[in-house]
Amino acid sequence: MMNIIKYKNISFVISSVLFLVSVILLATIGLKPGIDFTGGSLVELSFVGSRPSVQEMRDTLAPLSYGMIETQPTGDDGYILRMRFISEDEHQVLLSTVRNAFQTSTSSTIQIDATASTTVEAIAPSVIEQRVETIGASISSHLKSRSLYAGIAVILAIIAYVAYAFRRVSKPVQSWKYGVSAVIALIHDVTITMGVFVLLGKYAGVEVDIPFIVALLTILGYSVNDTIVVFDRIRENLVSMGSDRLEQAIVDGVKSTLVRSFNTSFTTLLVLFAMYFFGGESIKYFSLALIVGIGFGTYSSIFLASPLLYSWQQLAIWRRGRG
Amino acid sequence: MATEQTRRQLRARLRWGIAGIVALFFIALAYDMPAKANKVIDRVNGMVALGIPHISVADFSLGLDLQGGAHLVYQADVTAIPDGDRATAVEGVRDVIERRVNGIGVGEPHVQTTKVGDEYRVIVELPGVTDINRAISMIGGTPILEFKEENDVPARDLTKDEQKQINDFNADAKKRADETLKRLKNGEVFSDIAKEVSEDPYSKNNGGYIGYISNTFDPTLYNWAQTAAQGDQSHVIENEAGYALLERAGERAGEPSIEASDIVICYLGSSDCDAPLYTKKEAKDKAQEIFDQANASNFDDLALQYSTSQKRTDSPEAMDALKKASAGEIIGPVEAGDGFHVLYKQSEQPTVEYEISLIFIKKQTILDILPPQDPWKPTGLSGKNLERAEVVSDTISGAVQVSLQFDSEGTDLFKSITERHIGEPVAIFLDGQPISTPIVQTAITNGRAVISGNFNLNDARLLSQRLNAGALPVPVELISQQSVGATLGASSLQKSLIAGLIGILIVMLFMTVLYRVPGLVSVFSLSLYAVLTLAVFKLIGVTLTLAGIGGFILSIGMAVDANVLIFERMKEELRQKKSLKAALEDGFVRAWSSIRDGNVSTLITCAMLIWFGSSFVQGFAVALALGILVSMFTAITITRVVLRFIIPWFPQMGNRAFWGFTE
Repeated sequence: MMNIIKYKNISFVISSVLFLVSVILLATIGLKPGIDFTGGSLVELSFVGSRPSVQEMRDTLAPLSYGMIETQPTGDDGYILRMRFISEDEHQVLLSTVRNAFQTSTSSTIQIDATASTTVEAIAPSVIEQRVETIGASISSHLKSRSLYAGIAVILAIIAYVAYAFRRVSKPVQSWKYGVSAVIALIHDVTITMGVFVLLGKYAGVEVDIPFIVALLTILGYSVNDTIVVFDRIRENLVSMGSDRLEQAIVDGVKSTLVRSFNTSFTTLLVLFAMYFFGGESIKYFSLALIVGIGFGTYSSIFLASPLLYSWQQLAIWRRGRG
Repeated sequence: MATEQTRRQLRARLRWGIAGIVALFFIALAYDMPAKANKVIDRVNGMVALGIPHISVADFSLGLDLQGGAHLVYQADVTAIPDGDRATAVEGVRDVIERRVNGIGVGEPHVQTTKVGDEYRVIVELPGVTDINRAISMIGGTPILEFKEENDVPARDLTKDEQKQINDFNADAKKRADETLKRLKNGEVFSDIAKEVSEDPYSKNNGGYIGYISNTFDPTLYNWAQTAAQGDQSHVIENEAGYALLERAGERAGEPSIEASDIVICYLGSSDCDAPLYTKKEAKDKAQEIFDQANASNFDDLALQYSTSQKRTDSPEAMDALKKASAGEIIGPVEAGDGFHVLYKQSEQPTVEYEISLIFIKKQTILDILPPQDPWKPTGLSGKNLERAEVVSDTISGAVQVSLQFDSEGTDLFKSITERHIGEPVAIFLDGQPISTPIVQTAITNGRAVISGNFNLNDARLLSQRLNAGALPVPVELISQQSVGATLGASSLQKSLIAGLIGILIVMLFMTVLYRVPGLVSVFSLSLYAVLTLAVFKLIGVTLTLAGIGGFILSIGMAVDANVLIFERMKEELRQKKSLKAALEDGFVRAWSSIRDGNVSTLITCAMLIWFGSSFVQGFAVALALGILVSMFTAITITRVVLRFIIPWFPQMGNRAFWGFTE
């Protein structure tokens, strides 16, 4: 069993580098905001039979003066089109433009499923509109500010809660230091997750939307959950071993919760991978954000939060010794 | 020391606990799947006369993203409304929209208002609506009904300054046209100059070339083309709009111009047939009968007497037949979409089309300074004075009409309007378009009016519905639309359920391999957890969205966390040579504070997310929070009862099958 206090500098370096790189990525390239935050429109179409090429789609849509229309293939038979906010009339023009260009003959009649609860059109159009989202500027700016408030509120509530949960332990480490260490760990997790998504946005066109924000906030809760379990054990060890043996309390605490941390994260990651692979396009990147965040959350609760607590305490002792 | 008796009592209590848990499992399962459960109940009732009642078949309420439908956000423009009345006006919008969407008649529409900052919004949720375009036009279209009278305010004359401005402008235009002509004479290329100076955008963009013109084109220009020869260039030609310079290329034969008369007999089911008198067969016979007696001299009389429509037909079948016929011929019956036609082709003139290029320089006209005068002006009587609208049919002609009853203010207004305009027309405008301009016969004092536009029954019904639903008190604007097709919804539902099932099975496998017997117990707890959480969702009516299912799946991962904590703790206690029983109890007690603290932090996040608002977020947070609460019950209480029950079956210190490690 390795001593995490002994190797703390390695984990500090790894974390600092990842964190700094993420901050730099966020500051220079930045996340690719989706229409939830910029306002705009998204139309998902699927084609019965053969799907036109990206070039064909672009040529068809070029005469429409809807600004830059981003054309992205999705699934086996579909396209996702992204553009500025369009009115319902413009939306209908877009649809009929695509239909006129790619609608095949009337041979695409489908059998109506007798058990279907809704009456589907008897003649299935060969271009089906699966999904439409249009988000006006006032909605998107509202969503942006609400996301920010929610993030701040979650962090404040968690600091308050951790401080409360550890209120009875104040020796040798003050209870608020547990809270701050936990929060540093969770900021680390969330920032690195965002950094990963900057790269995904840059190279895979992954956009940041409301589900991504929800994933980040969930990572906040989850990361602190993991950290609390470790701190809880350290707290218990401090009571049984005595407050002067902080290093031993931390090493033992991490060691005895290591299997648990690993197993819990592993089971959670298992279901998340199931969601990622089988849950469909809509929750794919939501799952991915959680996978990244929970992965780093587990790492940070073991290798970052506890050593941080120790170093901080050593610093305080060293200062007291000088003063 | 527990005596033998208390031990036995404890054991009996545990047995009841186990029975209760098993019962809970099956009740929740039956509640989740009522259709299957009722089949089982039927079979049991068939075998033994227990008379178990059926479970009510309620389905999970699915969100728009899983069943398909539309989520629309409208912004109400309340700038014209005084501050204090804004909320009321927006409530009015909500009521009107609610009435309108109820008219669509699909699913259970949900309309609510919210205020964000200073902005009032109306959120409309339409589950299961397939024709979203229609829904949007039903909601947003404000039916504006107005009564207008003839505009007798004279248009003012141009002032001297304005007249001078026009004259100066046109003199300059003429000068520019002359200069252009000079350049052409000097041998510059027509198309280059057209690109440079033409003020007609089409000719400018195409280097002057505008293709073949027919006799429906501007007569001055067409006349010149007729007299010119190929390759000719014109002088400056002036018409109403400006100065033109033309260049003529080739010519070709155009569509012949045909002069003809038409008798149409429409029938039940043909298009544009407002008052069907005939079935299809009868209409055909009637048309044949008319054809038999028609000749050049009586055709117009027959048309007046029999034709069911005075409108010009636009049916392609009739047009084709006319083209084929020779001049002076009477043909029929021709079957077309709007009925059977008898057609008299009086004459046919060949026409010629000319290929021309054009440079055009605009003149300024009086209309550029004074806008054209509206022939109608408002009377103050509008849809807001309407008490009721209904569909009626005229007793004589059978034509479908919409009858209006005004309120008392409207009755007075209508009375004074009709008094003022006896013998003159009054126009009824709907959404800015005149739909009927009846001549007033007498003053109308009872506040009743009839709109006899060219309605079919459906249009009339829709109009009266919309008028009854009322006009929106303030304009609304669609600022967000999220709609999901039914197929995508169904596939999302299926995929997420499969993901959940795979996730839960993998976790169960993992727990069994890792923790052996307690692992199996946690598998049971996990099944109970899944069944129970779904039952709770149903019981308190949580709307299942894709995000909600995501939250539920995620909570599966977290649900085993409590068991992992407990089992790890028990292993530690066992390593310290405690008995199985003691290790079990200590493990639970010691793990509790970690379980509590960890879950509370996630619950806090959920509370914040629920506060955060949008439905995606709430669906996720509610499902996750409920999942965590249920998991604390199943992972702690249920697991403990089951473990206490099975522990006496194993050696006192446990064995390898129990813990998976050897000393």
